[in-house]
This record gives sequence, C-alpha cells and structure tokens, in this order.
Amino acid sequence: MSGTLAVYQKELATYFRSPIAYYVVSVFLLGTGYFFLYNVFMVGETGMDGTFRNMGILLVTLAPLISMRLLVGEYNAGTAELLLTLPLHPWQIVVGKYLGAVTILLLITTGTLIDLVPLYLFGTPETTTIVAGYLGFVLLGMACLAVGELFSALTHNQIVAALMTAAVLLGFWFVGHLQPFQRSDAVRVLVGYLSFALHFGAFIQGLVRSEGVVFYLVVSAVALTLTAAYLEWRR
Amino acid sequence: MSDAPAAIVLESVSKRYGSTTVVHDVSFTVERGEIVGFLGPNGAGKTTTMRMIAGFTAATSGRVLVAGHDMATDNVEAARRLGYVPERPPLYDVLSVRSYLTFVARVKGVPRARVRTELERVVTACRLEAVIASEIHKLSKGYRQRVGLAQALLGAPDILLLDEPTAGLDPGQIQETREVIRAFGQDHAVLLSTHILVEATLICRRVAIIDHGRLLAIDSPAGLQRAVEQTNQVALRATAPAEALREALGAVEGVQAVSVHPGANGVVTAECRVDVRDGVEAAIARAVAGRWDLHQLERRAPTLENVFLRYVSGGPSPTRPS
Repeated sequence: MSGTLAVYQKELATYFRSPIAYYVVSVFLLGTGYFFLYNVFMVGETGMDGTFRNMGILLVTLAPLISMRLLVGEYNAGTAELLLTLPLHPWQIVVGKYLGAVTILLLITTGTLIDLVPLYLFGTPETTTIVAGYLGFVLLGMACLAVGELFSALTHNQIVAALMTAAVLLGFWFVGHLQPFQRSDAVRVLVGYLSFALHFGAFIQGLVRSEGVVFYLVVSAVALTLTAAYLEWRR
Repeated sequence: MSDAPAAIVLESVSKRYGSTTVVHDVSFTVERGEIVGFLGPNGAGKTTTMRMIAGFTAATSGRVLVAGHDMATDNVEAARRLGYVPERPPLYDVLSVRSYLTFVARVKGVPRARVRTELERVVTACRLEAVIASEIHKLSKGYRQRVGLAQALLGAPDILLLDEPTAGLDPGQIQETREVIRAFGQDHAVLLSTHILVEATLICRRVAIIDHGRLLAIDSPAGLQRAVEQTNQVALRATAPAEALREALGAVEGVQAVSVHPGANGVVTAECRVDVRDGVEAAIARAVAGRWDLHQLERRAPTLENVFLRYVSGGPSPTRPS
C-alpha cells in the first residue's frame, strides 16, 4: 500500500510541474463556465442538466490529455526502468498513477461547484439531481482515465495515446446513437449498455442506478487490469 | 561458510526478441562481498543481461536468482534486495533531488520516520549535499549520475547492479564513485558493466567478458591474463642472422610461431608465440645466447585490454564460469 501511495504522491508532484495540467484544468473550467452561462441565460435552464451534458462531452475530449502521459511519460524519460525494477507490483504502479489522474478529475469537478452558487442564490435546484449528476460525472471520468491509462501503456507517443483514447471514448460516447438502427434486440440492448452517454444521461436525470455505477466501475477495473497485465507482459 | 544463497545466479539464461537471440545461454554467479565487472563491446548483451537481473526484462529461458529469489516468480522480493542504476539514470527531471530520493525511499519501504536519516546517508556517500534542493533537470551529467547511484543505495540493498556507473563523470567524480562502489562491495555484491578496463582491473575481484550475447570468460583479471598467456608472446633482440635465428627459435620446445624483423647493424628483433609452460623463456635464452649476442628478452604480460580484445576477437578458448 505504501508503494501505491508513494507512486500516487510522485504522480501528483510531477503532474503539477507540467503545463498540461494547468491547460486541462483551465480549458475545462472555462468551457464549463461558458456552457453554464449559456444554458442558464440563453436556454433558461434552472438546473444543471444541460451543463452536465456539456461537461460530459468536454470530459471525454479532455480526459485523454490527462491520461496520455501516465505511462508514456515514464517510457520516454527512462523512468519506467526504475518503476519496474523497484519493489512494486505492476498493479501498484497502475493504481498509484490512476489515483493521481483521478485527483485531477476531482479537482476540476470541485472547480465547477462555483456554478452552483448562482443557482442556489437565485433558484431552487433539486439537490439530489445535482448530486447524482456529479456522481455520474466522476464515475464517467474515472472510466475515461482508466481507458486512457491503458492506451498510455500501449504506445510510446503521448499524442498517439491521446488520439487513440479520444477515438475509443468518443466511440463509447456515441455508440448509443446506433441503437435505433439495430434490428436485433440483443444488439440494441448491448449498444445501449455500452453507451457512456446513455448511462450518464440517467445520472443527469437524478437516477443513480446500480447498472450505471457498476458499468463505469467495471470499465475502469477492466482497463486497469489490462494495463497492469500489459506491464507484466512487456517484461 | 554462510548458508545464505549467492547474491546473483544466472542459470543458462537466454533472451530472444522475435527470431534474434541477444543473450545466449549465459551462466555465472556473483557472491556476496565481491565486485564483478561485466565487460563487452557495444551490443554485446551487457545491458540486456543487467536488465534481466534487475527484473526489467524477463529471460526467455533459464533462471535468474537474486538473493535466492527467482526473478520470474518473485521479482518484488528480489527487488527489495537490489539497487539498480541503469545506463541512463532514471530520474524525474521536474522533481528536486530530495523529492526524488524520498519517493524511491518510500517505495523501497523505508519507514517514514527513517527516510530523512536514510537520505542523509546516501547524500553524504554520493556527495550530493550541494544539490539536494535542486531540481534534477538543472543538474550536470555528473550529478545526475550520482543521484542515480544514490537512489540505488537507498534501503540498504544487498546487491548493486550498475550499468556504466562512471560514464560522464570527471576524474575526481570517477574516483569518488569507485570509492563508494569499493566500500559497498566489501560486504555486499556488486555487478558493474563498464567499458573502462582500468576500472575493472582496479575494483573488480572478477571480470566477465561477454560478446555477441555469449559469456566468453569469467575469472579474476590476473586469471584472465594467465589464460591469454598460454599463447603469449616472448620478444627478443639479438645480433644474429635472421634465418638462422628463426630456425633456432623454431626448434625450441614450446615455441609455436616465430617472426623475425632484421634491423640495423645486424640486430634482429624476433617475436615468438609460446606456450604458458615454465622454462620456455630459459630455453629460448639458451638457444640464442649460446650462439649469438642476446641483448634483450622479455615475456609480454598482457594488459586487461589485450585480454579483452583477444577474447572478443576469438582468442583463447573461454574460461568457463565456476
């Protein structure tokens, strides 16, 4: 456990010495602020539904920038040789780094809470719906970062890692749009189950269903397990 | 004798990448309390072998044991006993030396309360006091190398694996680094790869020579020199007819080949390839001095550099590891 914690602390320390972290946090918060103002003043929303939807797609496009350097950075700096020869199991490396990325996610999530101030000052939003939306947002982000870490392990180029992650995440996001075109019920159910957007949509509506929670956690667990297995295999 | 397992054991270790075999059936042992040098030209398989011992790369076949732990099945426990400095020191440029060493100490399981003391120990040993607060990207190559060595010393490992530990250091730093290695090697095991033959002679009890992925020899520097001496050269200068001298030398028992080079004033220089057996030089001296004026006779003791070159260019049959 102390190994995982040390990797996590090192990850945070190195992350905030990189301009990418500040870029991602800034773009996300500015983007969310813009969408919030647009939805409230132009669309006339009194809740966070539309803003959450925009935050979701923004997260899917920005998460690859958070995750792209997780392992590629170690390969390129030659520090993978250190990590993999220290008394650490591959899963400790993977989880420590993942928790570092999740901390960035929680940071940007916390940053968006400022949008709630005017909502509560000038309206009466449904707190349970907002909490459910944030829970869905964090779970979605955790899945995105886990998938991103897997692609960061598979390549030696940060841009390639980011592009591959973005392609897969956008595929998961938009796969739900294929549902109406499926004749087979089984395929329709499967397509719906794989859709990041459909599960997230339920959270936005205030529905915290075990199906959605389990889905995101399973995607995260599978991606992290594959990453650890890949690190072990590449020895 | 202690019952503790050997520090490093390689049993018929091979490494293949696709159809290319980069390490062939290498076996040797490094005991506690000895420093073993690993010599070989570029691309010989030194770094791959070091990486297999460190657990960064798995052997395709054979076994690597570190302090009795099999790297294939128990690499985390083995890693606790090992300090490893790769050819390119694995440093996080954005961290300070202190943060970096703290990270490595924590991963190596140094209790939080002892981290400071442990850092002081390695910082003093590697003379890093002046740069402890500096960010690593600001350090010179020499300091970077020493930070790499410092991280390897953290956690009091039993074994040090050093891939080119003095590359890029100035003469003073090289001397200091050798002192650190020598001090560590007194009661621990050290395997160091190097291109610097003098380094191997100075600090290694034994030297392993590897080329094209094959272990050609492993012995003490003196032992390797003796092995090469089996076909060593004896050189002499005498005032004599060249052809007669060649015939006389060729007739001496133990002389395998003779080359003569006539010089000025009838002085001929001759070089004989001779067996290592005792008395060959005396027999040559008798054969020459009885008939002509013998001015000089010497057996040329090979330097480790010559030994190395002889082995990697297909010289004497390998001295197999014991």
